[in-house]
Amino acid sequence: MSRALTVAVAGNPNCGKTTIFNALTGTRQHVGNWPGVTVERKEGRFVHNEQTYKVIDLPGTYSLSTYSVEELVARDFIVQDEPDIIVNVVDASNLERNLFLTTQLIEIGRPLVIVLNMMDMAREKGLKIDTETLGVLLGAPVVPIVGRTGEGIDVLKDKIHRIQAHTSQKARHIDIQYHRDIEVQIEKISAVLAQGESPPVNVRWVAVKLLEKDDRIWEYLDGFADKEKLRQTTTEAIEQIEKIYQDTSRAAISHARYGFVRGAMQECVRSSTAEPIDYSRKIDKVLTHRVLGLPIFALFMWLMFVLTFDLGAYPMDWIDAGISWLVNTLHALVPDSMLSSLVVDGMIGGVGAIAVFLPNIFILFFVIAILEDSGYMARMAFIMDRVMHTLGLHGKAFIPLVMGFGCNVPAIMGTRILESRRDRILTTLINPFMSCSARLPVYILVAGAFFPENAGTVIFAMYVLGVVAAIFSGKLFSKTVLRGMSKPFVLELPPYQKPKLSSLLLHTWERGQVFIRKMGTVILVGSIIVWALGYFPREVELSQNYEAQSARITQEWEAQETEIEHAFDASVALGEEQYVSAMVPFESSGHYKELVTQRDSLKQQIAANYQEALQKVDFTRQAETMSQKWIGRLGKLIEPLVAPLGFTWREGVALVTGFVAKEIVVSTYGVLFGVGSDASEENAGILTSLRNSDMTPLIGLAFLVFVLLYTPCLATMAAIRRETGSWGWTTFSVVYSLLLAWLLAFGIYKIGSALEWLT
Amino acid sequence: MFSRFRNRMGNSAPRHQLTREGVRLCDLHPGEKARVLEIGGSEQFRIRLMEMGLLTNDIVEVDKYAPLMDPMELIVKGYHLSLRRMDAEKIAVELIERNE
Repeated sequence: MSRALTVAVAGNPNCGKTTIFNALTGTRQHVGNWPGVTVERKEGRFVHNEQTYKVIDLPGTYSLSTYSVEELVARDFIVQDEPDIIVNVVDASNLERNLFLTTQLIEIGRPLVIVLNMMDMAREKGLKIDTETLGVLLGAPVVPIVGRTGEGIDVLKDKIHRIQAHTSQKARHIDIQYHRDIEVQIEKISAVLAQGESPPVNVRWVAVKLLEKDDRIWEYLDGFADKEKLRQTTTEAIEQIEKIYQDTSRAAISHARYGFVRGAMQECVRSSTAEPIDYSRKIDKVLTHRVLGLPIFALFMWLMFVLTFDLGAYPMDWIDAGISWLVNTLHALVPDSMLSSLVVDGMIGGVGAIAVFLPNIFILFFVIAILEDSGYMARMAFIMDRVMHTLGLHGKAFIPLVMGFGCNVPAIMGTRILESRRDRILTTLINPFMSCSARLPVYILVAGAFFPENAGTVIFAMYVLGVVAAIFSGKLFSKTVLRGMSKPFVLELPPYQKPKLSSLLLHTWERGQVFIRKMGTVILVGSIIVWALGYFPREVELSQNYEAQSARITQEWEAQETEIEHAFDASVALGEEQYVSAMVPFESSGHYKELVTQRDSLKQQIAANYQEALQKVDFTRQAETMSQKWIGRLGKLIEPLVAPLGFTWREGVALVTGFVAKEIVVSTYGVLFGVGSDASEENAGILTSLRNSDMTPLIGLAFLVFVLLYTPCLATMAAIRRETGSWGWTTFSVVYSLLLAWLLAFGIYKIGSALEWLT
Repeated sequence: MFSRFRNRMGNSAPRHQLTREGVRLCDLHPGEKARVLEIGGSEQFRIRLMEMGLLTNDIVEVDKYAPLMDPMELIVKGYHLSLRRMDAEKIAVELIERNE
């Protein structure tokens, strides 16, 4: 078998390119990123007539200019990697605009097969396309396909085979003819190019690109010697064209390309006279209705939220239970050692804490796939753009932001629906301010302790403050670090389509597995670090001898128990003496029974007291041990940093552990107050201890604000790292949110103190 | 980190000022059709529209406005395209079919 041939699949967004790619390769796919950019790169394989083909799914683009990363990636691949065959997927129901890209592919001059996808929709629109003639005019075989049913895929494979075997009758190179004024200039530049040393492979294409003022084209001309002359000729040519057309040279060339497309369409496309029914338009009459549009949108958002987090809660509980079971079983099986603790508590426990998010993430991605494949996603952007635009964002950014109220991890992963990298970064950066569900237990605890009357209001205020912080930061970022990179909002609203289950599952899996693969490593490392902080140093010096205390308490209890027995025996002896003359034995008398009950209840009471005292010693020991471990020392170390906010070392430790996950703040408090780590938000012990501590309601409020604003958890950090593709932005996010949290908490504490408010 | 970003996406290209007075695309009502006379704005915006098939001399129909009155939905070359009003303001048009 000969070497694998490369097939690049190119086409507009929404043309069904991915459907064709899936139909060609089946499930044998590999998803990755294009080097250096966060644009998804999909690769698959198929074998036809004993020849292996490697298929690359290029990003969907409307053209091959260089104004977006996607276009750049697609063009670089076609020009530099020289795929053996290009499959250009074209939406037959939207031919004119789709063929614009085709003209550029023809010009590049790689072997080309054109797929007319969505033939069913074209027929519905009343379009008749003469594919034979179209193939002749475009100089490439044209294959009509209904991607949704897979009808025509085998014909496509045959055409690809015939192209590479040079037995295709249609394939021939044609030139897109421009108007004579432009052709003259193309010839001039071509002449310069052809004369020079090491001329480019495709002189005509390079000449056209030069005329289009495509700066990036110079990168392909590295080896070209006489750049000065080329530059001069190009500048003159552009001037001449712009003088004649009174427009930019690029516009003139684009007009000519569309002219070519229109010419071809006049020859091969017949439209039936009957006015076709535009089903999508009818659906949109309701879904983007002036009044109904927003409530329907809200309903869909609500459904998405409920599905992701409420439905996801069930498998989440199962995974949680499974992990706990595994950890407990392993602890029981393996003797305690550092290694077993590292593996069981650190790795399994840590990764397990993240694995519980899997159901959420997969459900969210599934819903997003439905929204994208059906076409409603574009409408969501259309409806919400007005609101999001004020933040300098695209309408679609609304979705990940709302999902942040559930959990920031899937929400940040959901920023992939945004096309521009700048929008993705901005949405990712402000996402942590959307108060996720893990922060709620902390709110309930602290608000419950200090604002029992108005807990609901305080908690609601936290959510509002989060949104305000997100809006403020969004505006700030788009005016500073992410300035001027916003793309114009020019969005296609594709026709509605019934999503196909297999493609939904494939999309969900593709995105979800990224979470498993890439995030796993970061989380694993993070979990091990956190485990080590809580595990070392192994030997801690405790201020009190807790074991002696426990022993003393046990002794006291035993002594008390003996005392009770003695007292009981004495009473019995006394009773027996009194009953000597009686007919019945003392043991069956009422008095004896009374004595027994009395003894038992006394014993029970002291047993309970004993247990409580023991537990108290144990809790105190746990608290002190924790404060001696590195994690506790870290909390004490940062005490000077949080002291200006009115916080003590306890808050310091709680905030440090809260970095792992917010809900841990509650259990940390449980340990620190010596009331046990069994921390449900109803834990009355923590509540009372908080009230009795040095904390005032004002400090409590400042603490809540801090918890709201600083980095939600390790998993979120990993997600930010993953989606921005840079530690730089991850650090920026963490530092910024810490700074914002500190400043606001400080402001609240200082102003509140000055006004003697809530103290 | 920031500078690399700006260099790639940075937009130093000149903005095209409309030479024409008169009706703008954003002035049209739903159901009205117009011919595009001139497209202004940044080079990036103009190129984006060209790629998407909105060129001078093309006929566009305003389908509707979003529930919050922005953006607007157009029908161009038989498909639906959405633009913000602030961008549509940079497109000079000539009304050819009024909506009664």
